[in-house]
Amino acid sequence: MNDTDIARALGTTDPSVNTDDALVRFRARVQSDGIAEVPPVARRRISSRWLQGLAAAAGVVIVASALTLSGVAGSILQIFEPKSVVGVPVSQSDLNYLSQACSGLNLEECMGAYGTFVWTTPPQPKEFQTRGQASADAGFAVQTPTSLPSSVTGNPRYGVINRSSATFTFSADSTRQAAARQNRTAPPLPADIDGSKLFITGGPAAVQIWGAPAGATGATGAYPDVPTLIVGQAKAPTISSDGVTVEELRSYLLSQPGISPQLAAAIRAIGDPSSTLPVPVPAELAISHPVTVQGVQGLYIGDNTGIASAVIWQKDGMMFEVIGSFTESQALSIANSMR
Amino acid sequence: MADSLSPAFESLFRTEYARVVGIAHRVLADQAEAEDVAQDVFVSFYRSHPANVPYAPAWLHAAAAHAALNALRGRDRRSRREAAQALPLDAAAVTDDPAEVVAASETRDEVRAVLARLPERSAAMLALRYAGLSYAEIAAALDIRASSVGTLLRRAEDAFRRELQ
Repeated sequence: MNDTDIARALGTTDPSVNTDDALVRFRARVQSDGIAEVPPVARRRISSRWLQGLAAAAGVVIVASALTLSGVAGSILQIFEPKSVVGVPVSQSDLNYLSQACSGLNLEECMGAYGTFVWTTPPQPKEFQTRGQASADAGFAVQTPTSLPSSVTGNPRYGVINRSSATFTFSADSTRQAAARQNRTAPPLPADIDGSKLFITGGPAAVQIWGAPAGATGATGAYPDVPTLIVGQAKAPTISSDGVTVEELRSYLLSQPGISPQLAAAIRAIGDPSSTLPVPVPAELAISHPVTVQGVQGLYIGDNTGIASAVIWQKDGMMFEVIGSFTESQALSIANSMR
Repeated sequence: MADSLSPAFESLFRTEYARVVGIAHRVLADQAEAEDVAQDVFVSFYRSHPANVPYAPAWLHAAAAHAALNALRGRDRRSRREAAQALPLDAAAVTDDPAEVVAASETRDEVRAVLARLPERSAAMLALRYAGLSYAEIAAALDIRASSVGTLLRRAEDAFRRELQ
């Protein structure tokens, strides 16, 4: 059997498709199922765009923690430092609600729906050529996998994000206005929360990326700058409060009209919200379950299509994550080989 | 709520739909099923990625291959037989001889069974290559070096031949 025979076996003719009809069918489906589009990303000239995206993602995780986690009454106290991670299934309706509430994933806009978010020390990603340089800048020993699948080749690029901090001030006015823009009525912000502040710090964080072409900006080009493997390591984020309490924040979040019963139940089920980092897992797109990694309990997240896997864990005050196009066993093997 | 698609997404859909169906069709040999897979692939992308990211085509190509292979493995014996009967080989389509049609259909059924048995990356590589993707496009979709595509493709073809014998 030669190449022509293989081509014949697999079919030599392309099916004739009607793209207009397919588009009509697609449009009807996303409308009937209430599926929201992820807004197109703004095109800006940014050097090391991947680092900028990373910083935004890190910020989202930190602030998401602030929204779902708790505080204690009194003066400024540290109210959150993750000791473990847990997957929280998020349904499509939750995502639709969050998408509406947040005008996409822009951090400032999202938080603007509930108050004022101000970076006191903004994240400023930097790129390095060697692990030693990255470790020196991060202020901790950057760990790296000692065993990699054959699909991961070449040397990684290194990025470091400085220790960043932000202040978030809850505002009943902002909440009302954001709800009005969406033609809905939000539950009133409790007086104890209105005006209270959260102080959020995160990082430093170090990231190693294999497979993304050097100098990729994401702005042009026919081919992707999708990395083969991403390894992240960061000092665990912490959140302090000047008064808002655990139950006030959690109750207010759970009273939002767009939160599904499943998500509410998952949030309520978090045993120790002051030390558990909830990781949102889209219920229709991914699976997650606890795994043992580096001798501690971590979280495995797998894309339903089998294209992507992630392992996240916390150990000795550091958060770690391994993300790439791997099977679960490959991802765990990489994670367990980190030294 | 999705009242309308962004221009970026509509453009992406129009540019890539036929190719995504083509990739799925190489695996499934069933146009209706391939179009169902393509719809699912675009929905997955739509709900989780901005339409104008540079990796969009490669993501769609890879997802088409993997989703079609998943669908193929999910077919039970009865549905495979139905597909084979409904879709004779190209060569068989020009004959009226029922025996040839049945023989060709069984061959096509066997080809699909071989694809389902091959390692995921090999099967995906064959689907992408024989759907007309360039080495560079295959490398982007499967996240491998372009210089490795030729070697990996030959291995996949060798494995395909061995399994078919």
